[in-house]
Amino acid sequence: MNQTSDLLTLRSVSKSYGTVPVLYDIDLAIRDGEFLTVLGPSGSGKTTVLRLIGGLEPLTSGEIRLDGRDISGMPINRRPFNTVFQDYALFPHLTVAGNVGYGLSVRHVPRKEIARRVAEALELVQLGRFTGRFPAQLSGGQRQRVALARALICQPRLVLLDEPLAALDLELRRQMQEFLKSIQREVKTTFLFVTHDQEEAIGMADRICVMEAGHIRQLGTPHELYYKPNCEFVARFFGENNLVVGTLGEAQGEFRAIETALGRLVCSVAGQPHLKAAAIGARGFAAFRPEALHLAGDGDAGNRFSGTIADLAFAGSSTVATITAGGDTAQRLRLRFPSRVDGSVLRAGETVALSFAPHEGHLVLA
Amino acid sequence: MSSAGLGRPIAIRWSPLVTALAFALPVLFVLAPLAIFLVYSFFSVDQGQIVYAPTLANYLRFFTDPVFLPVFWRTIVLCLSVAAISILLAYPTAYFLTTLHGRWRYALLMLLMVPLLMSYVIKIYAIRSILGLNGFLNKALVGLGIIAEPSTLFVFNMNAILLTLTLLLIPFAILPIFLALERIPQVLLRASDDLGASSLQTFLRITLPLSLPGVASAASFVFVLAIGDFLTPQMVGGISGFTFGRILYSQFGTAFNWPFGAALSVALAVVVIVAILLGERFGRNRGASL
Repeated sequence: MNQTSDLLTLRSVSKSYGTVPVLYDIDLAIRDGEFLTVLGPSGSGKTTVLRLIGGLEPLTSGEIRLDGRDISGMPINRRPFNTVFQDYALFPHLTVAGNVGYGLSVRHVPRKEIARRVAEALELVQLGRFTGRFPAQLSGGQRQRVALARALICQPRLVLLDEPLAALDLELRRQMQEFLKSIQREVKTTFLFVTHDQEEAIGMADRICVMEAGHIRQLGTPHELYYKPNCEFVARFFGENNLVVGTLGEAQGEFRAIETALGRLVCSVAGQPHLKAAAIGARGFAAFRPEALHLAGDGDAGNRFSGTIADLAFAGSSTVATITAGGDTAQRLRLRFPSRVDGSVLRAGETVALSFAPHEGHLVLA
Repeated sequence: MSSAGLGRPIAIRWSPLVTALAFALPVLFVLAPLAIFLVYSFFSVDQGQIVYAPTLANYLRFFTDPVFLPVFWRTIVLCLSVAAISILLAYPTAYFLTTLHGRWRYALLMLLMVPLLMSYVIKIYAIRSILGLNGFLNKALVGLGIIAEPSTLFVFNMNAILLTLTLLLIPFAILPIFLALERIPQVLLRASDDLGASSLQTFLRITLPLSLPGVASAASFVFVLAIGDFLTPQMVGGISGFTFGRILYSQFGTAFNWPFGAALSVALAVVVIVAILLGERFGRNRGASL
């Protein structure tokens, strides 16, 4: 059983705008204290999930339970959640201190206590010197941190973050990712973070919930999603991946064969009973990461095939080779290997023998 | 270079001319007449002839004659009241408009602006017939049993001017307030809800302060338009409703004392400029672009 308890559960939650459905029967359990990222392309319904939980919009059907109690009808200002909005939504006429203290001040907390807690919150986000400034006088990263302090000061059970890093440049975004993660560890509050950026999701989340077209496709740790995607969408969306279409062959223990244009490939199905049980002849994909593919040595017992190098792209610490393989059906594959100072041993146009180990391959049903 | 260069010589040839025009028009039609007025205010009149010798007599008369200053102050108070009442009525209207969605919002706004398309004089006549002793207002009040017989409280006096100016100028108050309210990003209101504020708290702490620049613009608009008006007091003010605008008018029209009229205009212009500057000062957001 789960040792960590569920804070919030969504049960067959649906949402339509007029007659247009945007969420279909979502079930999701958010654990107390975790950093859960909802990841999906735009239009996947991820922001809608956040808005429903935050109470910005009513459910069409289903229910949301907090500590087992239905809160679907609870008005937004009663919910013990606070949101960090995409464009921060700081109040332009209030100072940093006024913004951060807002949630306490509307609850009629005594002024002295507000001042003390505002100072604490600003210290936490390293903005202690900025109390008297107005939002317009702050940089993007500073506004971001004010918005975070404002959300944290009411000690919410759950902090909802709606793509809060989208407006920041790359370097600042990296810093803020680490910063958010460290703050989350420090305050031990549950964070629900919505993003379309899978790198961001991998870097910060304890668990990731991948959404597409109003459905949850997969929920798991970044490691699980990366190495054991359960469908073609997740396999393609989550980082670079090589997918080779084929028909499933027989299962042998923790492995199963798939017949493809590259020949018979053997992939791991460990811990995934649905893959072991799938019918022989079912359509599926062999999925393997570019870094799992390598040049085959003589005694290599892995999945071997030959391919022609179409292109080589230097990407700093690694180099990516684009390879065509599989003869007439011309599969395009990627091979990633560490870059070397004296240049690549591979040449474009060269035909090479390639392989990947069965335990680094994975099956995905089509 | 070639394609971009084609359009430029023409633009360069014309631009000094356009610039000169842009400066010349306001100078010729606004600044020059104002300057002439200012100069005239230092002249005097002797037996219907203007004496072109500089004197401060007009200003001295304005400040010392017991007639002018009281009317001046009373007119300022009247116009401040007009501005205040207009805003009290316009704010809820504008707020209601922003709660409407889509095309209703603008359809209703257009309807509220329709009176601006009508002739000023016709509107005053219409209001006069409503306010008169046998007017609609008195008949309605008597008919409803609120008063026993027609009241003279708003017939040809200051109250009549107050009511008429307010009615005439309300559209000028609604528009800036509506625009200020509409410019407030909805997400700020949601953020306030999200932080636990009730809808009243959200209004008082977020919506109202953020709409104050619009209120300031509205107030200065209405005040400036009201204080410059002489037609309305003339038509609904009767004998007791004497305003500064009417005095001004009489100096130019009946008394034919242009220099003194010019001096009075300068006094009025000072008030108007102060009102506009105040409106401008508070009409800007406190260092906060969103």
